[in-house]
Parts: sequence; structure tokens; C-alpha cells
Amino acid sequence: MTEPHVVGAGMIDFGELYEQSFDDLLESAYLSLLENVDKGVDPSDIDAAWYGTIDIANEGSSGSAVAHATGLFETPITRVENACATGSDAFRNAAQAVKAGDAEVALVIGAEKMTDSTEGLIASAALERLWRGRGVTMPAYFGMRATRHLEEYETTREQIAEISVKNHENGTKYPHAHQQFECSVEDVKESPTVSYPLNLYDCCPVTDGACAVLVTSEDRAREFTDDPIRVAGYGLASDTFQRGAPEALTNFPATRQASSQAYERAGLGPEDVDVAEVHDCFSITELITYEDLGFCEEGKGGQFVDEGHPHLDGDKPVNPSGGLLSKGHPIGATGVAQIAEIFEQLRGEAGAVQVDAPEVGLQHNIGIGRNATGAVSCVNIMERP
Amino acid sequence: MSGPRYDRTKRQDQRLIGFECQACGWVSFPEEKRTCKRCGDAPAEMEEVQLQERGEIQTFVVQQYLPDDIETPQPVAIVDLPQEDGDGEPARAYGLLTETDLEEIDVGTEVVARFRELFSDGERPIDSFKFSVPREEKA
Repeated sequence: MTEPHVVGAGMIDFGELYEQSFDDLLESAYLSLLENVDKGVDPSDIDAAWYGTIDIANEGSSGSAVAHATGLFETPITRVENACATGSDAFRNAAQAVKAGDAEVALVIGAEKMTDSTEGLIASAALERLWRGRGVTMPAYFGMRATRHLEEYETTREQIAEISVKNHENGTKYPHAHQQFECSVEDVKESPTVSYPLNLYDCCPVTDGACAVLVTSEDRAREFTDDPIRVAGYGLASDTFQRGAPEALTNFPATRQASSQAYERAGLGPEDVDVAEVHDCFSITELITYEDLGFCEEGKGGQFVDEGHPHLDGDKPVNPSGGLLSKGHPIGATGVAQIAEIFEQLRGEAGAVQVDAPEVGLQHNIGIGRNATGAVSCVNIMERP
Repeated sequence: MSGPRYDRTKRQDQRLIGFECQACGWVSFPEEKRTCKRCGDAPAEMEEVQLQERGEIQTFVVQQYLPDDIETPQPVAIVDLPQEDGDGEPARAYGLLTETDLEEIDVGTEVVARFRELFSDGERPIDSFKFSVPREEKA
């Protein structure tokens, strides 16, 4: 058994990358990683790879897609698909293999072409189903939590919008973000209704992107960098509102379970987290996640953002990179890009969005599956060794 | 995309039949299960229960963008369907609303189940329930 460490990250600019193929995205992320490892990495050093994609563009569903894009044909490559937790679960699997001593140098790479599909995610509203999510799109699934949260707690529409304002502001300072504009609470509320109670600026954009990170054993980490970041813990859990728990109507019990596992493995608690990259596919998702990760009490997510805690200069900065709302959400790449940001934050290399001397960082995804009846959450915690 | 998929749960879909876990009281709908999603009992002892043709909205949204086959704006809710005899727990499911405006619904609003043709599988109509605010309460 060894402690897994992140020793490098390769991020690319997210956006509407029509001119780039799926292979191009994978190549770009891989080449960016090779270029950015402090002491360099030779492709022959890589023992194994984990590949995250939900393959919306139907371009490369198996590990062989990564072999084609990297040339790593003799290397074991495993494809991971776990809804919006795809990238973070690919990372978790790589960390587990390194921890077990089976792989010493593991590549994690995630990619998604969201703009190649003409009907987009609207097509996920299972039309030919009776009870399993017929007519339920992603904004609907998350919007349901917003409706109930507004009803049950003192949460206001303005507090939900404030998260979008915060993340767009952060995104203007983050070079790889897709949507680089600032907006006001009024702008959010006046943008077109997508799925009441959510408006356009409450929703993440449709974005292409890819990202890669390198995970190694403790012994090998300093071959690649003098400043590795330890993977302290991880967790993964599923849930569904169909189980009848009242909290599943306002929040995500899957996040509570996944984060509990991760905190326990790391020997840390929510109070120890200095910076977090969390799943804000919609503004309401981030608000709920403050509560589910234990950053504030249940029902107090609105107050938490109102008081400025998750802002860039707050005491618990969340989504310094602009989050999914600004950076974009190319599903397979999303979690890997969040890991890359936490890695940079903990190394003090986050540029204009650098928070003040963080020691512990948390990454979180929540996704939906089974025709919008299931939820899956993955949480990874990293710390300076 | 037709045939067996709709026949598997046809009785439940058309008659609102659920299955109650005898270990913890959780109600499965519409699938008849041999394991319990809540307590994990496996094999679980499940007893058939009749659900009422009405439900209570737990939460909802009104969708503006959907594939062309569904009219918008389309309200969709999570509804709790109580058991016919008033005992035990309700079943919790998604329900599409029909003939219903945003102004008429809220968390806690009671809706009635209306039997409708939901779509066609290419050869035959697939019938089940949508929900709406009771007519006598309509202004």
C-alpha cells in the first residue's frame, strides 16, 4: 500500500470547439499534461490509464479511443462511465490502483464533445418511458430541488442567482473558462426561463473539453515533481428520490454519503477544507452541495452564499475556476478538470483565482442516471503532503 | 423500441399497483421487485398494494424546452400516490401534468390521475396516467 499523489495536470481551453474532433481533444489534453509535468514524463513511464467519457458524440466508447489519441496501445486503459461523476470516478479508480501498488504511474484522462450532438441533452428526456423520467430533462431534475428548497427553507431566488454571479465573476479570471462574462442577480432572473424556477444563467453551457492528470505512488512522485499533492480520500455513492427520504427532495443524500466516506478516509472534516471545486451544473446544485458537504447546516445554503463564505476572498472559497456554470461541463472531462484546479490551488499556481495558502482541497460531482431517477456522487479530497 | 418493455409493467402502469416491502414499508412502483431499494432486504417480501388515483405534489418544475413530441410549457412533478386503504406509505414517482398552469400548483397541491394515451410505440397506443388539478377546483 502506498499513498497516491498527483504530479501533473494538463488542461485545455474549454468551449465550443467545433473545429476539434474527439481525438483532437484527447490529444490536446495528453500533450498538455506531458508538457506540464515539472520534471517531464516519458510515455513509456505510464503503467495504466483510466478514461472518463459518457461518449455523447459516439466517437470513442472504449479505452482504445485513448490508445488511438496517445499511442499507448500496450498499456491497460479502462473506460469509466458514471453519469456526471464520470471524470471524478475515473480519477478515483486510478488512485485506488496506485494505492494498491498495481500501477505506479497512472494517466487519468477525460473528454467530451457536447456540441456534436444536434438534439443535445434535451434528447435525454426519455420520451418513450412511462414513469422513468418521461419529460424530465437535467434542468428539471435539479430545478425540482430548487422549488422544494425555496418552499421548505428561507432560501430566496436571489440567493440561488448569487451563485451564478459569483462563478461567472471567477470565470472571467480563469483562462480556460468557456463563458467569460460577468452578470448580476437581475441578469440571472431576467434571462429566459429554461425550466421554472431556473433561468438560462442558472444553467451551465454546452461545452467541449478534455483534461488529463497524472497519479503516481509516493515513491515515484518526486521523479516527476518536487511538489506533489497527496490524494487523501475519496468516496462514491448512489441514491434515488424513489426511496422516499424527505431530504432527497431538497438535497442529495448521495453527496452526503460520498463525502462522509472521503472525510473518513482522509481523517478530515468539512471544517478542514480550504478550497473546493463542486458540481454546479445549475446554481441550485452548488447551494445544496454546501449543505451536503457539511460546509453549512441543512437549509442554510442560501445564507452561506449571502454571507460571502464561498466567494474567492471568503473563508471557504468554492469554484474559484468559475465552476461548470462558467468553465463549462464537458461531462467526462469535468471531474478531471476540477482535480486539475485543486492540484494547482494546493501548489499555489492558480494565478488570478488563487486562494490564500490552501492546505486541503475537495472535488465533488453529482450526476443523474437511470432516466433521471438515480443520483450518483463522487468526492475526492487532496492535501499538501 | 416496443413490445416487451411496455408489457412488463402494463398492469401496474394502467391500474396503479405498487408493491410494499414487508420489512420496512417502502413501496415500489411501478416495478415489482425482489429486493428493497430502501432497507436492502434481499430477497424481500413484497406485497401487492392498490394505489389511489390521486397524488400530492412534493415538488415540481415547468419545462420550456423539450423534444417536439411533448407540448411546452410542460409541468412535471414528483408525486406521492397514497395506498387505497389509507394505510402505509405512499409510492413516490414522477408525474406529467396535463391541462394545468403554473399558477394552479404548489408543493402540497392535490392532483388527480387521468388515464391518457401517452405515446405510441409505432404500432399501438401506450396508455397510462397523467395528473391534473381536480376540475371542480378550477376557477
